[in-house]
Amino acid sequence: MADIKSLKAKKFLSMLSDRQKRFESGKAVLPEISDQATVIAKALHPKRQYLRIAEIIDRAEDCKSYVLVPDEEKGTKALAWFGAGKYLTVFENIEGMPITRAYSISSSPKDSLEGKYVLTIKLVEGGLMSQFIFDTWAVGKSVEVSAPSGNFEYQELRDAKKVICLAGGSGITPFVSMANAIADGDEDFEMTLIYGSRNADSILFKDELEELAARCDKIKVVHVLSDEDAKAGEGFEKGFITSELIKKYAPENEKYSIFLCGPQQMYAFVDKELEKLGLEKKYIRHEMFGEFHNPGSQADYPEGVPEKVKIRVTIQDNTYEIEGSSNDSVMQILEKNGISAPARCRSGECGFCHSHLISGKVYVPKALEYRRLADYKFGCIHPCCSFPLTDLEINVPASK
Amino acid sequence: MMKNYDVIIIGAGNGGLAAAATCAKAGLSTLLLERHNIPGGSASSFVRGRFEFEPSLHELCGVSASEKRGDVEDLFFRFGGDVDWFTHDSTFRLVVPAKEGDKDAFVNENGVMVTVDARMPVGFEAFARKLDELVPGSYESCIKAFEYSAKLFKAFDALDNPKKLVGSIKDFPDIMRMVSHTMKEALDALGMPKKAQDIFNTYWCYMGSPASKFDFLYYLTVLHCYVENGTGVPKLRSHEMSLALDKVIRDAGGEIWYNSEVTKVIMKEGKPAGVVINGDKEVYGKYFICNSSPNRVWSDLFELKDVPEKQLKMLDTRKIACALTTVYLGMNKTKEELGITDYSVFIAPDSDSDKQYDAAQGYFSGYCIINCLNEIIPDCTPEGTSQLFLTTMTFGDVMKDIEPKDYKKFKNKVARDMIETCEKALNISIMPYIEEIEVALPPTFARYLNTPQGTPYGYMLEKWDSMIPRTVQYLNDQPFDNFFFCGASQERGDGYGCAYYTGEKAGGLVVKALNKEGK
Repeated sequence: MADIKSLKAKKFLSMLSDRQKRFESGKAVLPEISDQATVIAKALHPKRQYLRIAEIIDRAEDCKSYVLVPDEEKGTKALAWFGAGKYLTVFENIEGMPITRAYSISSSPKDSLEGKYVLTIKLVEGGLMSQFIFDTWAVGKSVEVSAPSGNFEYQELRDAKKVICLAGGSGITPFVSMANAIADGDEDFEMTLIYGSRNADSILFKDELEELAARCDKIKVVHVLSDEDAKAGEGFEKGFITSELIKKYAPENEKYSIFLCGPQQMYAFVDKELEKLGLEKKYIRHEMFGEFHNPGSQADYPEGVPEKVKIRVTIQDNTYEIEGSSNDSVMQILEKNGISAPARCRSGECGFCHSHLISGKVYVPKALEYRRLADYKFGCIHPCCSFPLTDLEINVPASK
Repeated sequence: MMKNYDVIIIGAGNGGLAAAATCAKAGLSTLLLERHNIPGGSASSFVRGRFEFEPSLHELCGVSASEKRGDVEDLFFRFGGDVDWFTHDSTFRLVVPAKEGDKDAFVNENGVMVTVDARMPVGFEAFARKLDELVPGSYESCIKAFEYSAKLFKAFDALDNPKKLVGSIKDFPDIMRMVSHTMKEALDALGMPKKAQDIFNTYWCYMGSPASKFDFLYYLTVLHCYVENGTGVPKLRSHEMSLALDKVIRDAGGEIWYNSEVTKVIMKEGKPAGVVINGDKEVYGKYFICNSSPNRVWSDLFELKDVPEKQLKMLDTRKIACALTTVYLGMNKTKEELGITDYSVFIAPDSDSDKQYDAAQGYFSGYCIINCLNEIIPDCTPEGTSQLFLTTMTFGDVMKDIEPKDYKKFKNKVARDMIETCEKALNISIMPYIEEIEVALPPTFARYLNTPQGTPYGYMLEKWDSMIPRTVQYLNDQPFDNFFFCGASQERGDGYGCAYYTGEKAGGLVVKALNKEGK
């Protein structure tokens, strides 16, 4: 009968010495391995990008575009390519306070190949970062940003071919990038952009959008003005982005996707309108929520939370005892105490600030809850959207 | 005075976590350094919309569906790591769609023309009977193979228990035969019909080396585990396992620093004495365990003059193992609505593993494994939904013609090919029901694992560099007497259980060495 006993057991005896001999036969140099996988990974995901402000464009009274180019002296030779819709996290230090903000890239992916990103930033009332940027960002200044990040992108295998993009105010920025990408042939979908602004003067990128729509028949733009009567002619509506308005511009007997980007008040309003349309979940894509403020205003926020809390925070072999307001996120408290925290999206979504809650309790608003299941089991939090309810002890990764 | 740790572990992948847990639990001052913000390397998870995806795990044959505790389960039990296991008592289904002109084609239960449709059960007898039903005349060779695998486990057991060694010595010649011959040589010797061999060899891709290159002993060991006890997965994706070990390490007094990448190893008197973290922070230690790719370690962390010559020669002679491409799908239909009936279906353009290997030198060969986690954990996704996980493997630099700017489009092209392959092979519809999708190609793995060509598998386990010689010569292959590697690059190649094993073993060596020094 057939059996492995017909195989030579003795072959085993030389295996060990053969293996060592084989190693001996190698060259004592670092091997050069063709490895485009790593080349791509490094090109698309640099740890940091060092940029210089080449130009500043006034968009409106309270909105500017910053044209950023590689700062070769600091080591950034080329910009990371990105899919339209991605954001950059900007790293700044305001009087000893390390702080970050995520801003969608408003320029075309194609421009990045020519060494150009554009960030379009609106001055937020009482906004620390936007005020700082308006005050200090000048042509020639160096700025430090992350790799392009985020998931607010068109995905041909998931989304409908026709997309209704709903923008509010400076939430227009990722859509300007997407429209450019369509016109450049980098993305392939039909975009109907419904863009809500207060009045005609506060419309951002008005000319550029018009020009894109004229150049590319896959792009259509509708302006919705809340505070001003609609101008005569096509492409203007009065009021807000309602389900009726969406229906007016949506294809009738065809699936369509909704992409949504704007201020938090807009999400609150439009989300209710979208419910009326009864769309499948897969056809609704939200841009990130943005930094959350005033947790106390939430219906599920507990009572009796002290105003001031103490936090004991360990990062590597440093431990700090700090104090802060329970109205601030753990991330903000760290920053206000001059501690650099690993911040990226500041909306709970990217998980970069994933930390261990050793003791104490936090409140996390539902809209920003993106933790992994095991995080609940083992007490892990995202400090950017966790608000202290008690004194805390936490262990935070280095900011890098 | 700078703190001098007993042991510094570079990398919190599965190997590094097991090593750190071993050292911390033995009372050593332990520092585990990880470049990412979470532990686990491949053993992790990620969230998209209302889905949480398993990034790499297919199943653990070290978690048993029977009473007997598997080795991974046992490791977590010994460490006190809290993981809820879900188990599964079947093995795999292999489907080979028919090509035009195939004489032995038939229509399977899905209404698809195939040449092979093998749904293999757990249990040696059941497995052999099923194989015989599919390929008449294969029963005896299959049972015989499992008799040999039983001998192997007896011998492994004996290594830890010298009293049993006497009884197993008579099996040693057979074991030597199994180590020194390939799957193909051994199954030919056993007289297994070719088509049965192909079905028998289905798991080859989990080790990344086909039947003509891979040793029979290791393959048999793995298949034995699957067939004997079935498999398991953690309830909360692999992130649960990694956080459980993170907790074990911290509870035992060990430190874990995340976002803390080792950028240099500091040498003193010809051996490692410390590391530089993120380019500017120095930490010192007596012993080092490294869970990082040796290629990266020698090129990025050491000055060339400090690298032992043998290590460079090893890099030069070994072949980088396979890379993976995976498509993660959150579906807005249940598995029943989609018509999915199995946890794990291997779809292959050809049943022969060597032909599969040859075809995998390009970016997509038509080889695709489709998994549906809801088969094991029914409520792992919200009501009315399910998640799918498609995998294919590639060898070499399959990305060589792709520029970064074309990568996004290329990803979708590969994903589309893989999805359509599954749709055709199972006669189901996937594309219209995709609510969330993420595609990971070798650059994704290169980014997260920092390995050449993005391989999660280390070096190819070819017959000359197979598991037993690697194990026997482990110490001989280490670069310094205070620096040990663990993880997929070591004895057992890829796999969670293998990485845990190497980490625990390396940790044990450090504990022993420090005990000897009289600590």
